[in-house]
Amino acid sequence: MTETRPAATASPRTAPASTGPAAPAASASDTAERPGTGAAPPRTRGAGPSRRAGGSGLRLLWCLPPLLVLTVIFLYPLALVVVEGFRGGTGTYREVFASQAFTDALVTTVALAVGATVGCVVLGFVLALVVAFVPFPGSRGVARFVDVFLSFPSFLITLALLFVYGTVGMANGLWTGVTGAEEGPFRFLTTPWGVLLAEITYFTPFVMRPLLAAFAQVETGQIEAASSLGARPARIVRRVILPEAWPALMAGGSLVLVLCLNEFAIVLFTGAKDVVTLPMLVYSKAILSSDYTAACCVATVNVVLSVGLYALYRYVTGRAGRTGGTGRSSRRAGALA
Amino acid sequence: MLVHSRKGRWAAWICFAVLFVPLFAVPLLVIVAASFATNWSGVLPSGSTVEHYAAATRGESLAALGVSLQTALLASVLALVIGTWAALSAASAARHGWVRRVLDALFVLPVAVPSVVVGLAVLVAYSRPPVAFNGTRWIVMLAHTVLVTAFAYQSVSAALARLDPAYEQAAASLGARPWYVLLRVKLPLLLPSLTAATGLCFALSMGELSATMMLYPPDWMPLPVQIFAATDRGSLFTGSALAVVLMAATSLVLFAVSRVRTRASYR
Amino acid sequence: MSEARRSGIRFEEVTVAYDGTVVLDGFDLTVEPGEVMALLGPSGSGKTTALRAVAGFVRPAAGRVLIGDRDVTGLPPHARDVGMVVQSYALFPHMRVADNVAFGLKARRTPRGEIAARVAEALEMVGMADYARRHPRELSGGQQQRVAIARALAVRPGVLLLDEPLSALDARLRSGMLAELDRLHRELPDVSVLYVTHDQVEALTLADRVAVMDRARLREVGTPEQLYRAPRRTFTADFVGAANLLPVVGAPGGTVRFGDARLKVASPAPSAGAEATLCVRPHRITLGEEAANVLRGTVTAVQWRGATHRVAVEVAGREVVAELPETAEPPAVGAEVPLSFAVRDGVLVDD
Repeated sequence: MTETRPAATASPRTAPASTGPAAPAASASDTAERPGTGAAPPRTRGAGPSRRAGGSGLRLLWCLPPLLVLTVIFLYPLALVVVEGFRGGTGTYREVFASQAFTDALVTTVALAVGATVGCVVLGFVLALVVAFVPFPGSRGVARFVDVFLSFPSFLITLALLFVYGTVGMANGLWTGVTGAEEGPFRFLTTPWGVLLAEITYFTPFVMRPLLAAFAQVETGQIEAASSLGARPARIVRRVILPEAWPALMAGGSLVLVLCLNEFAIVLFTGAKDVVTLPMLVYSKAILSSDYTAACCVATVNVVLSVGLYALYRYVTGRAGRTGGTGRSSRRAGALA
Repeated sequence: MLVHSRKGRWAAWICFAVLFVPLFAVPLLVIVAASFATNWSGVLPSGSTVEHYAAATRGESLAALGVSLQTALLASVLALVIGTWAALSAASAARHGWVRRVLDALFVLPVAVPSVVVGLAVLVAYSRPPVAFNGTRWIVMLAHTVLVTAFAYQSVSAALARLDPAYEQAAASLGARPWYVLLRVKLPLLLPSLTAATGLCFALSMGELSATMMLYPPDWMPLPVQIFAATDRGSLFTGSALAVVLMAATSLVLFAVSRVRTRASYR
Repeated sequence: MSEARRSGIRFEEVTVAYDGTVVLDGFDLTVEPGEVMALLGPSGSGKTTALRAVAGFVRPAAGRVLIGDRDVTGLPPHARDVGMVVQSYALFPHMRVADNVAFGLKARRTPRGEIAARVAEALEMVGMADYARRHPRELSGGQQQRVAIARALAVRPGVLLLDEPLSALDARLRSGMLAELDRLHRELPDVSVLYVTHDQVEALTLADRVAVMDRARLREVGTPEQLYRAPRRTFTADFVGAANLLPVVGAPGGTVRFGDARLKVASPAPSAGAEATLCVRPHRITLGEEAANVLRGTVTAVQWRGATHRVAVEVAGREVVAELPETAEPPAVGAEVPLSFAVRDGVLVDD
């Protein structure tokens, strides 16, 4: 696998927020044809430039069928969520915003996401650094393992942590076995710390992926030149590698931030009553208490938060795609002398 | 090489192992170990059994695997068609930069929107006339399609961006019309990326829990829901066995896809 | 090949701009049917853009492109009936050599029975008949190049577009391929060829005429001999071969003055007192006073270059370079020496 989640595949392009006339009034006849066929202008002799312009306009029609499908299955439902939240005016919003449960969930969500992101960025940077620059037998296997890891669902981590740090798990078992105590000291799993640990574990590979790709771009010649000039590893990391990897680090970090804000399965599996995040609140409002209007309000807030951050992520990755040339990095190597 | 001294290198490796092994390798191993255990109250699990697997491969659990496989297959195929079509039309609209940017933004939006909200949105929209999908398997498949289409679109877009335009142009200069170029040159060259995208979509759909929790009807319970149900009622070992089945099924599909890819890649 | 479709190429005031930057500016050029025209220029001179305007991959902001007497400006690439070979060859990696060559024929719905014969013919022509079952990745660069040419020729285009076709090959293969291309064109005398290159040797060897381009504009068109022996512009003189470009002033009697020296040149001399630039090729300059025009100066540098000695002489505050046949006793640095060149080797050039 070389393709994985957005960390690796997102095209380096800035995505402005979803604006623009995405007219869903598609002509139904277009959907019946194969893609591409309508784009071929008839072969006429001596046609003027106006013909070409017509062909290119026709080409745009081919965007409409997939856009129509997306509108039906996603955009329209999403819009309904926003509309539903305003059923009966802004009353539900005021109610939701005033509730302690919502405020707690918002704080918990943001705190967990920020904490997990910091953890992932630091951990991912260190691990990727070793894999890329202090290679060992099997370090390529680690890169593959990271790929596979990314394709597994997140709740597996929580499930595993239940065995490692659960009340009767490995860690507590070790403790009781060694000290002879009745109970082990590890009982953080149902607290926010358990969720934090699980999120850091699960999302660190999302930082490692783009970092490994960025590290592959750093020329070994630069590092050799720098170390031949007497620079110590810490200095090389700071002055050569970090600047080169910065855009990838930022991109990976902001992606993880968004994914953490949206994470639901890890929290659900922890089974902790006192760790309620926004997605958890949406779930419990909608499914457990069937209060769809309130669920839609919370959902709207969550969407605004995540989509805003995601737009930032796309902006950052767009910039990362444009900068980061070798010219800049070779100047860095020179700066070490 | 960044670290030259033998000591320094070993220090880096040990540091790596201390961080990597407990965080990433142990969890997966623990699940596998637990799936064969009857009891885990010490450092290591005790008692070995295949009873959990027997349970995981019959009745409800087997049905859940079937549900997951069917859902993932349908969702990833649909996502591939929609995503590829959208990515191709976005790429061919290159002259109209805004069209491309709008398509990009709209098609990756499902990545940014929380899965739970996608589930809620589909539930809200399709629980009312004219299309009341709620309580049917179709609403689960619909939500999965939404979620993985974004990844299919991104994969194919990225592959298209990497595709050397010289192939397309050489084909056109030889007299091939756009559809002929698409069928005979572009799609064959994209085949490795398309299979990779399908594999990715399949894997993501297999493990989807968030939106599914909002939507699943009693008669269409995918594997992740079954795993949650098992752990929620305290059957951690059965849950582990189910999780191993899930991982194995996903890995098998990914492996098969990567085999197809190697065969299909020409460079 | 049998179907003789004699069509030339005509650019009429073609202007191409990307994002407001003009990359081809009022380009006017006619390639006669059957002619090999080289577009020669440094990178960024617009030569590839001109070729791509013929192929249909760039759309002119103004002007027309004609192939034969057909205005193709608004036609999509597939309707233009051209053959194209690019620097990277762009052979389809998922098809065998024979399928690559057959691609254009299949795309044009040529009858099945005919395809096989024409593929064989095209491969035969480039000497690749034995490789029909191979995949492109199994071929060397030179072999891929031949297949790319066969692929372009198989559709029997009236016009063949070659975009830096040899620049990915190493020097030895390149000279072999040059001879090969020359032979191919003799076998296909009706095909007009537009050959884009930055390499003057390729252009001078292969082309019937050369169009020299610089900064989005056409600078000069002429036969290789004209451009080499009697360039009309400074840029051409400098870009095509090496040149001494000396500032001179018109003098009475149809001569020009450079420093103290009065020189007779082949070009019509400017009026007395008018400034001009004189171009003399270094290898046309000899040591001594045998030829008509004599310059005297001090040797500043001598380089041994195998077959020649490159001697730099300071004359009237300017460096004049002479490429002399290798001698056992080259002039010493600091020596006062006379240099001379014939009347026909001195050409006045415009900017």
